Amino acid sequence: MGFAPLDPILHNQLRLAIVSLLVSVDEADFNFLLEGTGATRGNLSVQITKLKEAGYITVKKSFKANYPNTACTLSAKGLKAFEDYVEAIKGYLSA
Amino acid sequence: MAHPLTPEQSLQVIESMIAQAKKSFSRASFYFLLWGVLLMAAMVATYLLRHVSPAFDHGAPWGIAGFLGGIISAAHSIRQGRREVVTSPMDRIIGWTWSAFVITMLLVIVCSVALKRDPGPMITVLTGLPTFLTGQIMRFRPLILGGILFWVVGVVMQFTGDPLIITVLYCTAMLLGYIVPGLLLKNRENGIRSA
Repeated sequence: MGFAPLDPILHNQLRLAIVSLLVSVDEADFNFLLEGTGATRGNLSVQITKLKEAGYITVKKSFKANYPNTACTLSAKGLKAFEDYVEAIKGYLSA
Repeated sequence: MAHPLTPEQSLQVIESMIAQAKKSFSRASFYFLLWGVLLMAAMVATYLLRHVSPAFDHGAPWGIAGFLGGIISAAHSIRQGRREVVTSPMDRIIGWTWSAFVITMLLVIVCSVALKRDPGPMITVLTGLPTFLTGQIMRFRPLILGGILFWVVGVVMQFTGDPLIITVLYCTAMLLGYIVPGLLLKNRENGIRSA
């Protein structure tokens, strides 16, 4: 039995952590993701951009209480990719 | 972060992040404490004012409590919304449950007043619904029990004519259904905040 290939976008600790956090919520802002993942601002920002470019998340920039705010939401494409990734991981673990 | 992940590490990341996201839940204790105290005060004021002057228009304390509670709740909600870093499906469902309750309650009040009936017992029964549902959604037993208590007290109020018994029953329901769960919820929220 062959193993399903793992999505290279999600097969990265920080990007996987971001998507896993977004699976459980409707919308999360940058600080929530920063606190949840324990990443640095710069690295988090880079990985958010990569997920956005892949169409896995949508990023909405606005102002909240006079401060810039970045809110991230998992897209339908991102959710499907996450589900496929979890299925692939299950295949590896049960082998 | 640059090392390739093993399947076990991937699963660990997914599990720990989902557990992390579950920690953030609605900060609802403020509303239960606020409305519990205001409505209990309105009930006691109604009883005392009617005792002093039987001709007193007993709707006024409820109107004042509703107006004050509405203003304070709206201000708190706006302030909380500015600070909130995440919106969960649970927060959204609880919010819509209480919005639907407020709309239904207003319609019941309008219909009851038009039919010259006391809306109190019906509103108390109705209060059981969002309280019970919020308890179930948050998996918080004191609110589930509070919801059941409102249902029981509302039905008993419907068949009791004695103002003193109605006042005692309603205040007990507010204390055990809103204030005590609100205090317990506040402790739980503070625990999560400091975790």
